[in-house]
Amino acid sequence: MSFAALQSLLPQLILALGATAVLMFGAWIPKRRLWLTVGLLLALSAALVAGLMEAPLAEVGGMYATTLYARFCTVVWSLTIAATLLISFRYADLHRFGGGEYTSLLLFAAAGMSLLSAATSLIGLFLGLEAFTLVLYILIAFNRTDDRGAEAGLKYLVFGAVATGFLAFGIALIYAASGSFHFQEALAGIQIEGALRPIGLAGWAMLLVAVGFKISLVPFHLWTPDVYQGAPAPISGVLATAAKGAVLTAFLPLLTMLGESGAEIKNVLWLLAIITMLVGTFAALPQTNLKRMLAYSSVVHMGYLLIALLVGGSDGGQALLFYLVIYSFATFGAFGVVTSFATEHEELQEYEDLRGLGYLHPRRSIVLAAFMLSLAGIPPLAGFFAKFGLFQAALRNGYAGLAIIGVFASLVSVYYYLRPIIVLFMQERSAYQLHPGSKSEYLLLAGCFVAILALGIYPEPLLNLVVLVLP
Amino acid sequence: MTADSSLQFPLLSLLLWLPILGALLCLLWYKAPAASRWIALGTSTAVFVLSLVAGLYSTGSAGWFLYEDASWIEHFGIRYTLGMDGISLLLIILTAFLQLVAVVISWDQDKFSALFFALILVLGTGIMGVFLALDLILFYLFWELMLIPMFFLIGVWGYKRKVYAAVKFFLFTLAGSLCLLLAVISLHLLHGEQTGVYTFALEALQQTRLSFSQEMLFYLCFMAAFAVKVPIFPFHSWLPDAHTEAPVAASVDLAGLLLKTGVYGMIRFAFPLFPHAAEKSLPVLAVLALIGLFYAAWIAYLQTDIKRIVAYSSISHLGFVLLGLAAWNQTAWEGSLLLMINHGVTTGALFIAIALIHKRTGTREIAKLGGIWKSQPNLAAFFLLFSLASLGLPGLANFSGEILILIGTFSSNAVWAIFAVGGVLFSAAYILRMVQGTIWGPCCEPFDKQDLGGREWLVLIPLAVLVVILGCYPQPLLDSLREPVSFMLRQGGQP
Repeated sequence: MSFAALQSLLPQLILALGATAVLMFGAWIPKRRLWLTVGLLLALSAALVAGLMEAPLAEVGGMYATTLYARFCTVVWSLTIAATLLISFRYADLHRFGGGEYTSLLLFAAAGMSLLSAATSLIGLFLGLEAFTLVLYILIAFNRTDDRGAEAGLKYLVFGAVATGFLAFGIALIYAASGSFHFQEALAGIQIEGALRPIGLAGWAMLLVAVGFKISLVPFHLWTPDVYQGAPAPISGVLATAAKGAVLTAFLPLLTMLGESGAEIKNVLWLLAIITMLVGTFAALPQTNLKRMLAYSSVVHMGYLLIALLVGGSDGGQALLFYLVIYSFATFGAFGVVTSFATEHEELQEYEDLRGLGYLHPRRSIVLAAFMLSLAGIPPLAGFFAKFGLFQAALRNGYAGLAIIGVFASLVSVYYYLRPIIVLFMQERSAYQLHPGSKSEYLLLAGCFVAILALGIYPEPLLNLVVLVLP
Repeated sequence: MTADSSLQFPLLSLLLWLPILGALLCLLWYKAPAASRWIALGTSTAVFVLSLVAGLYSTGSAGWFLYEDASWIEHFGIRYTLGMDGISLLLIILTAFLQLVAVVISWDQDKFSALFFALILVLGTGIMGVFLALDLILFYLFWELMLIPMFFLIGVWGYKRKVYAAVKFFLFTLAGSLCLLLAVISLHLLHGEQTGVYTFALEALQQTRLSFSQEMLFYLCFMAAFAVKVPIFPFHSWLPDAHTEAPVAASVDLAGLLLKTGVYGMIRFAFPLFPHAAEKSLPVLAVLALIGLFYAAWIAYLQTDIKRIVAYSSISHLGFVLLGLAAWNQTAWEGSLLLMINHGVTTGALFIAIALIHKRTGTREIAKLGGIWKSQPNLAAFFLLFSLASLGLPGLANFSGEILILIGTFSSNAVWAIFAVGGVLFSAAYILRMVQGTIWGPCCEPFDKQDLGGREWLVLIPLAVLVVILGCYPQPLLDSLREPVSFMLRQGGQP
């Protein structure tokens, strides 16, 4: 590997090497907060490097791109991991997490996600995806004393392993048909006269199943609520945002490259989008647990994002990135509030336990309400413009049916997003005084809140950025 | 419109954003309830004064005498465009006035008063924004901005079934608005395909060439949003719940202002954008209006809760307003708009009087009430005055609007007018029943024998004066309405 190649991969190297270093030294110096802070700084510096430093090579080793798009994704995932570390300060103390291990695993996850969305070859894609799912298996079950966490970890492992199998098989089929792992050649190789060859189609079907598992599309979503509920809240936040976003962003160029010949694939995606939106919505309605509700909500939002994926091109891509960022702020923020409400023994996630909490902890409750309303797409919060952009792109490109179903789903969704708000503010008090929350938690929640509000009033900067990344 | 708009003092923006500033200040001082009260009072007084100042610019002709335009979200083609003509002026003044009343009447609100006043102020911004916005997405944003504050006002500070009422209000309204949003985006895209200019500006979109079926589809989507808000007959079921469960300030805002935004949306957006579809729909609109008028009056007669009676009376009155619109001539439209203002004042006043009665007696049931005239003669007198105004007694507020509507309707369709006169009779029936059961009859034992206090006088006197003035001398209002209304009627290209 040349120096230029290393330089091009610098952000990922910072994350991966930093993670290794933290893991090693963490074993000698058991200071939890120190390592969390170091990890935070590493993630931030990776984001800075990715955002500001130009890469000398456009592609490294025929596997990873250093385009603006890839760099943008790296920045976003690094910042998400930084946010996860920031929100975990008190939580990690509470559950006596090993600071070194926790930090290094999260950094590895960031590296994996960043590689995944930068992938230009099927092998690169596989490696990136496995790097971060492997880490997540551990992180989900990180709280050793919690049976539910262990169950969730195991569940994710089993489903994830099956998905990996499908992914590997799909890649193998595509390779068999085209003789190449590189996206462009591989995709060209499985086409004949503007349509997919049967073997290519089979390969794509396998890929779709794998992707469906990872971003929990219906009918591959069954693991989602259990895993979100059992995992530590900060990790659920990562699962719901960056882990899904990375898969989507990796898949977007692949689908765009497929172009016209992917008609059959698009038909399947169209169907998946509809059932994901509808089933997710109606499954979310009866939930009485905040984390489970957020799990189904993420399923529904993945359905919306599938619309953007289907629209494709720059229209769809821009809508997807814009939506993804805003969705991540709100969802991560919501899990942040759950983290902040956690006590030594449990996380407050049943609506029953949250009753009247708005009066005891008004600031965090108001912030949570804002995140819910943003997810529901109510202006003046950013979620509105995210949905606006998405449905506009859909209508412009002839997906009116999907747009209408999406609008219907977001109407119904209002009911389940309002429920936590009602519980917090409009019911008799049953909750008791909780920990007042730490500064780091407030910092993060305030950041998400301000972002949601500011982007809701003036989304132009983010829109410009997205247009710059995906012209 | 006005070329030098950038040079003007941004009065409209100030009107809009001052309440938001006030709301932020309220939240900053959330630990001191007294401070938030005074901030809210100061802000809404300032807004009221500003709205009157805006009136000084009025020229009496059609078109915007105040206009602001700035680029906002270029990527989506959304601009920040505000405009004020005679119609919006009156509605803005009404809004500012009722907001002031709402703040004063909630003075001893002691449950999270900072949040309460902040929400009232934000609601004001939403309502005024609806009356001023000329960009369809800007309009939609303000339209939705009314939703969240009202949801919390009902849900947190409401009465027994508050959560049910709040959620119902939210879902009903949102269902309508989402139809509106879909239609707006589609219209925007169609316009963009035809002209290459992607915009949400009302004036530009009016030039879009549409086939009749497209026009009808969009029109129905627009009307879905407005019909829920008005509410037109089959979409009204959220209203009695929301009005009844809401705290008094929210009831005043709901009945006085929120319902008007629906009618305003029709005349400002739905009719001018889709004139042919609107023309076809007029008979249907008239029939629905008449059904609403009678049906609501009938249901009102059967209610036992006086607040519910007034809530249903709103549906009935708005049926009248709608009938005037359907008649589609100058007199009827002027009457409709006048009745909107009148109804805002009288119904707001009625809700306040009912809240004062409720505070003293602890009940709103007709069966348990009675004899207020003996225990609190002043309060009872005000209640009687407002009730009579609501009933349509000549010389008091509602009458001037109703008579114009009847005259106008008679000239375009006599049958509708004849039916509508019957509706007035109906309203007499339920209002008199309410007054009789509350003011006279055997005395209930109010646990608070106090008659009106200083602050209550302060609120009720201006309302009473207005009710009389609007009834006897509505001419200044009609002057302000004349040119804009005739311009809109011509624009619609109607008979």
